[in-house]
Order: sequence, then C-alpha cells, then structure tokens
Amino acid sequence: MSDGVGPFELADLPWTRVSARLVTARLLMAGVVLGVPAVAGAVAGLVLALPWVWVVTGVAVALMGWVVWLVPRQVRALGYAERDDDLLVVRGIMFRRLVVVPYGRLQYVDVQAGPVARWLGIARVQLHTAAPATDGSIPGLAPDEAARLRDRLASRGEAKLAGL
Amino acid sequence: MPLAADLGTAGPPAVDRDQPIPTAPALDSGQWRRVHRVTPLVRGWKVLVAVLLVFSYQTTDSVRWVREAPGPTWLALAALVGIVVLVGFGYAGAAWWMTRFAVTDDAVHLRTGVLFRQQRQARLDRLQAVDVVRPLLAQLFGLAELRLEVAGGSGSGVSLAYLPHGEAQALRAELLALAAGLRRPEATTSDDGALDAAPGFATAPERKVYQVPIGRLIGSIVLSGATFAALVGCVVIVVVSAVTEEVGGLFIMFPVLVGAAGAAWTHVNGGVFFQAATSPDGIRLRHGLTESRTQTVPPGRVQAVSIRQGPLWRAPGWWRVRMNVAGYALEEDSQERESVLHPVASVEQVRTALWLVLPDLGVDDPVAMIDAALTASGTDGAFTPAPRRAVWVDPVGWRRRGVLVTERALVARSGRFWRQVVVVPHERTQSLAIAQGPVQRALRLASFELHSTPGPVRASVMHLDQEVAATLLHEQAVRARQARATAAPEQWLVRPDPSAQVGLATEPGEQAQEDMP
Repeated sequence: MSDGVGPFELADLPWTRVSARLVTARLLMAGVVLGVPAVAGAVAGLVLALPWVWVVTGVAVALMGWVVWLVPRQVRALGYAERDDDLLVVRGIMFRRLVVVPYGRLQYVDVQAGPVARWLGIARVQLHTAAPATDGSIPGLAPDEAARLRDRLASRGEAKLAGL
Repeated sequence: MPLAADLGTAGPPAVDRDQPIPTAPALDSGQWRRVHRVTPLVRGWKVLVAVLLVFSYQTTDSVRWVREAPGPTWLALAALVGIVVLVGFGYAGAAWWMTRFAVTDDAVHLRTGVLFRQQRQARLDRLQAVDVVRPLLAQLFGLAELRLEVAGGSGSGVSLAYLPHGEAQALRAELLALAAGLRRPEATTSDDGALDAAPGFATAPERKVYQVPIGRLIGSIVLSGATFAALVGCVVIVVVSAVTEEVGGLFIMFPVLVGAAGAAWTHVNGGVFFQAATSPDGIRLRHGLTESRTQTVPPGRVQAVSIRQGPLWRAPGWWRVRMNVAGYALEEDSQERESVLHPVASVEQVRTALWLVLPDLGVDDPVAMIDAALTASGTDGAFTPAPRRAVWVDPVGWRRRGVLVTERALVARSGRFWRQVVVVPHERTQSLAIAQGPVQRALRLASFELHSTPGPVRASVMHLDQEVAATLLHEQAVRARQARATAAPEQWLVRPDPSAQVGLATEPGEQAQEDMP
C-alpha cells in the first residue's frame, strides 16, 4: 500500500490495519507446520546418518525463512475501511483482492477466535451475505475492535437491510 | 476469559426491532391440516424398495443356500420381509400422523417428526419460489408435493408432501397471493369458524410465452458435448480394438454409452414439454416427464441470468438460459431440474426469457444490445472490452471479454467458442470485488467480480483495464445501492403508497392492499 498507484490503493479512505499480533499467530502456525519436519529430518539425519534426509530440514528451514519474510508483509497488506454504505476489505500482495460488501446485504457477522488467537488477543470477523462467493473475512482484530465492528455492522445492516 | 463473552454471532435480524414481534394469532387446532392420507403409502414404497434392495444385496450370496434350505427357513424369511413391510409402513404412517401444517397470513407452519420433532415456520414475505412437484407414483395417485423456497440455505425449504393435486394448486395460489401482499377477504381475527369458510384466492391468470419443441430438444441433446464426447470415445475404442485385435476393449464402450445415455435422459426428462408463462404471480415454468415440475418464481426473485452456447450449438443458433434463484440448486445435481429458464432457446426466445426476468433492460434498443452481447466482440454494442494487452493472459477469448452497464443491469460477455452472457440486475447485486494476480499487475489488468446467490450463474469480467475495473467497482456499488432503494417491494403486488406513510408500518407491505385481478 505504499507505492500509491493502481486500483487497490485508495489513499483517501480511512483504512484500518489489522493487529501485528496476527504476524505472531501466523508465524507460530507456520513454525509448528514446518518445525516438525525440520526437527524430524534433523533427528533422522543424525540417528540414521543418512545425509539426504537433511534435505527435508533444509527445505523446511528455507520455507520458514520465506514465511518469516512474507507474513509480516501479508499482514500489513490486510485492511478494511468503513464507508457510509459499505465495507471494503483489501488483502494480498501478489494476488490482491478488494471486496466491497454493502451493509444492506449483510445476512450475519461471525466473530471467531481459536485458542492461539485468544491467547494473543486477536479475533476474526467474518461477513456473510447471501452470496457464498463474498470473501469478507478480516483476521487479526483486537477483541474490542472485533466486537465493535460486529455491532456496528449489525446495526448498520439492520438500518439498510434490503430483501435478497 | 473476557473475550468469550464478546464472541458469537450477530447480524441484522430479520425482524424489525421497532415493531412488536408479530404475534401470530394463536394457531388453534382447526387450522392445522394434514397431508393426504395416501402419503405413507407413496413414501413407504420408497423405504420398502430401499430396504429390499439393501437386503437383497446383502443376501445375494446366501440365495443358493436359501434355495436348498428346508421350509421353516422360507417361513422365517417371509416373516422377516413382512416385519420390514409392517415397520416401514408403520413408521410412514406415524410420520404422516405427526406431519401437520398451517397457513397464516404471514407464514407457513410445519410440524414433523416422530422421534425428533421439528417445527418450522417459513415467512411468506421471504418466499423465493413455489414448486409443485409430481413424481411418477404421485402422478398415478393424483397427488403433488408443494415446495416452498425461502433462501435459508440447504434444506431450508418447506415441503408439503403429498397433497391432492387440486389442493396443492389452490394452496399455491393462496400462498403466492399472501406473499404478494394481498390479504384474505375476511379478517382472520374474527371468530374461529370463519377461517375454514373463508373463500380462497383464485389462481392468477397466466399467459404462455414460449415452449420448447420436442424436435429441437432432441436435436440439442444430439448436438451436446456429452454426445460428442461419447461418440469420440466409442470411435477411439473401436479403432484401438481393431488395431490391437483385442475384443475386450469393446466392453469399455458400455459404461461410456451408459454415461452418455444418463446425461441425455437428464436433459430429456428435465426439458420435455418445457414451457414458460407469465402471470401476476411471476414466472411459471412447467417441465418434466417422470417427475413433472411446475415452478413459480415471483417477480424480482431471479438474482442473475446466464445465456450460454457451446460450439456445437452455434450453427443452429441455440442458447441455454439459466438463472439463480435463492433456495434453488443448492445441490449440484438439482441445477438441471430447478435452475433452467430455457433449455434450448432461439435468439428470439433468449430475448423473451430475458424479458421475463427483466422487463426493462435499461437500454434504448434491447434487441441490438442482446445481439451484441451474444455474438459481437470488441467495442460493438457499447461494451467496454478488455484492452488489447489482455491477449497475453487470454490469447483466445480476449476480444469477447467485455462489460456493459445499463440503467437496470450489468451485462458481462465472454467466451469465444463457449459463448456466455451474464445479466445481473443492479438491485440483486450482493457484493463486489476486484482481484489482480502478478501477471495481470504487470499488464495493468484486473478482474471484476459480482457475487450472486448460490446457483449456476457466476458473474465476472476478467482482464479489464485496472482503472476501468476500479471505476466499475465503485460505480457499481453506488448503482446497486440506488437500485436497492428504488426496488420494487418484496411483496410484489403492493405498491408503496406515499399518502399512507403516516401509518406505523415501516414496510410497504403493511399498508396498501388491492384485490387480485
């Protein structure tokens, strides 16, 4: 969002960025998913003395490096903006996406938080319209902000609710 | 854990908070009705056949053993079958006894379940479609199933099965009239006995607008991709068998032919006697052979329309018109039965089908616009095409990609060999998006998406100029909002009456009423 060109940079809108704690959460997940094969590869390499098993560890570590580089940027690219009549959600660096969800089309709003997210103090707000293709998910919100957003969306949706 | 209390689901409730919750007049026992008493027989047969099938599969091996078995084994087997029959029909009978429904001014109430009871209430102002479905056995008994779709996701519809055919039709007329915002001639709050005596609603008059000739339907199946694939497959198999002089390969033809026949049968069964009509209740579609189906889709309930043509249909100039209706086609295999607006249409019938859904396309010359959408490419017909540099990401179809925004709808055009046109009325837009991948970014292109309710129609315009896509996104958001504000009321026979706005009601449906034509 820094270069200021293209259709995804709407500098005049009040964009809200998500919490940096989402970086921690995602890195933790990646650490578990990639750490297990890395350690397993290392142990197997030491115990069995097979040099090629180290390839597994090497790949896992390389992937970890890539994830560490990528995730903070991904999280920085996540954002949302509340306009008078709709909510905008932007995501992605390489594959970018900007979704416009009109308040009048909201059917319901979910707030979810898993154990890791609760421990870190973040939650995910998920918007649902009658269209399953609507990808209105905002991860990494502080619980207060998530609750505030949920209530705001609910009340605005109620005020503007149209039929299908 | 402070967060736990904050979690949960909130959303705009369907009920207006300012109004008291509509306390439906307490349903007295006289209002509850049962479905036809033959229902357990019609339903029980299905259970019986299923049980016997499973049973016979399980015991195929022991048939020889049974044949050599002495008399008592036969008796035991017969007794077992008898018990299965008794239990099957007994359960169906109990289910019939427990199934009751009632129709009030606002909703249809349904109570079902023997062991696990279920009470369901479908609000009539959320009604999306009403179908009268008649499977073969029900047709023999003169029965019909009435299905109400209320757009609540899979399994949310209300099914009243089975009713006498005439009663099903009368009930459909009543439900549609109530959903349209008409009221019963007598006030329901009067004494209890009045309800049964209240005159029903006359069936809305309908006018046939098109039907599918049987010859064209068969032609469309002959010229379908499935037939073509089966033919090619058979030729390959025969050639391979001839070259290798192995006869065994020919047996592979059997499943190929069965598959093709199955696909053809689905199309014949769904499309035969297909006809469409208009009525004040909305679009009425009739079709089906072994399972005849009469669909009624009230005005404003069609969320999106797609018009498609494969390469084989180009010479005869045929098109397939499908629609998204909330509540329809939630399972993949029901699309062919529920979501077809015209199985094989000529260009004139494509125009008629579109007119059924959108009487006003919002352009001066709709015929020219539709023609341009169907066949033209580039900027013809005032379409905004994908720019020339889109050839790098879509070398075949880039000329056909384009979008046209009229006053009433968005028209997306694509496909060079498999032509497709998608029309989405502005007021039916759910949400919008633009997306851009790395290659598109390098080429300054972006894809525009328009989200509709579940169904066979998906609207997107790929590889537009990124500035065009961004402008389209924001303009379309505004247009959709304005269109929603001025859209016809959900209760389609009720017109917002400006003089009556002093009243307490927030919905136009609570105010003006008029009589059924």
